[in-house]
Amino acid sequence: MLKAVVGHSNDPDSLPAITEVLEQCEQALAGTEPQAGVLFAAIDFDHALILQEIHQKYPEIQLIGGTTDGEISSVLGFEQDSLTLILFSADKITFRTGIGVGISQDLPKAIATALEQATLGHQESIELCLTVPDSLTTSGVLVLESLNKALEQTFGKKVAVFGGMTADQWEFQQNYQFCGTKVYSDAIPILLISGEILFAHGIASGWYPIGKKGVVTKADLNVVYEIDHKPALDFYHYYLDGLAPSQEYPLAVFDTEDVDYYIRASSGTYDVQTGSITFFGDVPEGAIVQITETTQDRILAASKASMEQALAKYPGKEPVAALYFSCASRKQILGSRTKEEYTLTQTCLTNSLPSCGFYTNGEISPLPQQTNSCYHNETFITLLLGES
Amino acid sequence: MELERLEIPDTPDTLIRVQQLEKENRILKKKLERSEKTCLELEQTNQRKEALLRKIIQELEDSQKEVEEKRQLEITLGELKQTQSQLINAEKMSSLGQLVAGVAHEINNPVNFIHGNISHIQNYSQSLLELIHLYQQYYPNPALTIQEKAEEIDLEFLQSDLLKVLGSMKLGTDRIRQIVLSLRNFSRMDESDFKPVDIHEGLDSTLLILQHRLKSKSSEIQVVRHYGNLPKIECYPGQLNQVFMNILSNALDAIEEQNNTLPAQGKNHNLGAITISTSVISLDNTDWAEIAIADNGLGIPEAIREKIFNPFFTTKPIGKGTGMGMAISYQIITKKHNGNLICTSTPGIGTQFVVRIPVHQSACRL
Repeated sequence: MLKAVVGHSNDPDSLPAITEVLEQCEQALAGTEPQAGVLFAAIDFDHALILQEIHQKYPEIQLIGGTTDGEISSVLGFEQDSLTLILFSADKITFRTGIGVGISQDLPKAIATALEQATLGHQESIELCLTVPDSLTTSGVLVLESLNKALEQTFGKKVAVFGGMTADQWEFQQNYQFCGTKVYSDAIPILLISGEILFAHGIASGWYPIGKKGVVTKADLNVVYEIDHKPALDFYHYYLDGLAPSQEYPLAVFDTEDVDYYIRASSGTYDVQTGSITFFGDVPEGAIVQITETTQDRILAASKASMEQALAKYPGKEPVAALYFSCASRKQILGSRTKEEYTLTQTCLTNSLPSCGFYTNGEISPLPQQTNSCYHNETFITLLLGES
Repeated sequence: MELERLEIPDTPDTLIRVQQLEKENRILKKKLERSEKTCLELEQTNQRKEALLRKIIQELEDSQKEVEEKRQLEITLGELKQTQSQLINAEKMSSLGQLVAGVAHEINNPVNFIHGNISHIQNYSQSLLELIHLYQQYYPNPALTIQEKAEEIDLEFLQSDLLKVLGSMKLGTDRIRQIVLSLRNFSRMDESDFKPVDIHEGLDSTLLILQHRLKSKSSEIQVVRHYGNLPKIECYPGQLNQVFMNILSNALDAIEEQNNTLPAQGKNHNLGAITISTSVISLDNTDWAEIAIADNGLGIPEAIREKIFNPFFTTKPIGKGTGMGMAISYQIITKKHNGNLICTSTPGIGTQFVVRIPVHQSACRL
């Protein structure tokens, strides 16, 4: 039977924080040995120390994780500068981790290495993949494309991928990924799950296009140089009165029919000389783009909708745990109302549900009616887990 | 002042309490650090939000201005189109009016000449017939040649028919004179100012011009006149007659169309009728002349009725109608006469046009 327990500490000191988290987990586990865990930690912690403490307590644990822009759990709700850990124990579900490094240098190789490690020890078919890749060293779209391709090649079928890109509290300097006892950067940790796992997810945004449309006239992967034959920065400066582009005002990228759109947020990197803006995901040349905006109420309505979608689709009787991946821009706009994202999702539940999540620099999940996972910005993703 | 040193007992409970306080202290310090950063970020977020809002409001204002300008342009274009069609029509009607007036004038003189001389011929003929009668009375047996000639020309018939022929000729010239008068009435296009006129005269003149259509070979259309007691109405007589002509022509078309759609055996049973009613009504302390022209023709479906006053709208086959008749009529009534033109119709039953114009235009200008 799948069991999930959560620990969460807002102590800013690493040792007391992880000690508190492990105490909470130990108490909730009530003697059960956990097989796997996912750790979300604020950027300022001594992550190596934390991982060591976890492994000292649970030497066999399959653990991945990363740094965040805010943490969520069923223990403390929304917190900043905190540490949260979710542990899983199950008889009929297998968890295995893998790590690929140097994703900015050789992404396919990094993914192949991670998959090779994470595939070992599975007796049944892989059902689910969790991942928390670096958000700043390469395009999130490229990461997902390569991962989807590699999963399909390795297992001969599409595997649903969920997770979020690691963050660094809106600094956009460096973020970290965890696997086992080690701390990485420019890496992709993955957790492959096989066996009798059940899952369902919901995804919603709350951002809507506003203002004039433009055409991307020069772009290279996730760097947009020109919109309407003018520096891309001008497009943002026009609307933001000379202020720098930011994640809170992403671009809506329209499809060829000019109806549906997906969202691409700026990574915070831009070049005043060339007028280029770097986004977390690719923006193709020729795409029609429009600046988007939102309100706190729209964001919160979308968070609730995400949980409602997931619950409506959940195939089992009742989920055992929930993972949340929410965009850091949502937190940026919600400010002191950020805690309402989590509390609103709880209003959809009848019983308390062990849950854990983080504020990301990019979210990963399939679209509502699809299997292939995509890279998203500005979304709130709810992943419900259980056992069949 | 010297503070008294507190003695803290070194018990496990105290130790836990101290640890909790230390943790709270750490959290508070972190939150303080965080709040400064958050405050800065929120300020930036707010600045961006404000900038975006300002820009969007500006775009909205620009867009509203553009819409307003576009609307003005559309109105101007519409007015231009109407003016153009009015000019074309005015030019056409002016030429037609001049032509009609010219023809009427040219016909008028010879007709009057003939008409005037018919009376003399009647008198001369009457005298000659009386003289023949006297001859026959006093010379009952004339010479053989005279008798033969009398038989040859059928004198008896000639005597009885001559005055009838002359009477008929007089009627004919009377009719020509009446038509010429109607044409001159109808073509009063040169009158550039309001003039008090008898509306009934205008209606009758128009009906006379349309007489050939009212009494065609295939059918007869009855005209029922319910003329009220109308004073002289201030109007542009020529233009008003043009409106009557347009409405009456359409009424005749509708009746003919209705007859064409009926089965052959039913044609005789359907009597086409045009009813013209005039009256004076009082609205908002103003006297208005109301002229209602109703037909029992095919009727107009609602979708078409909404468009009948639009320029260039016609349901007639190409070449039959310009689509300008009712549009110009509407302009003449509403713009030139400060009146209104209303159309009501029930498909299969008939149509009624109601023209309302002020009896005194001066009342409207106030």
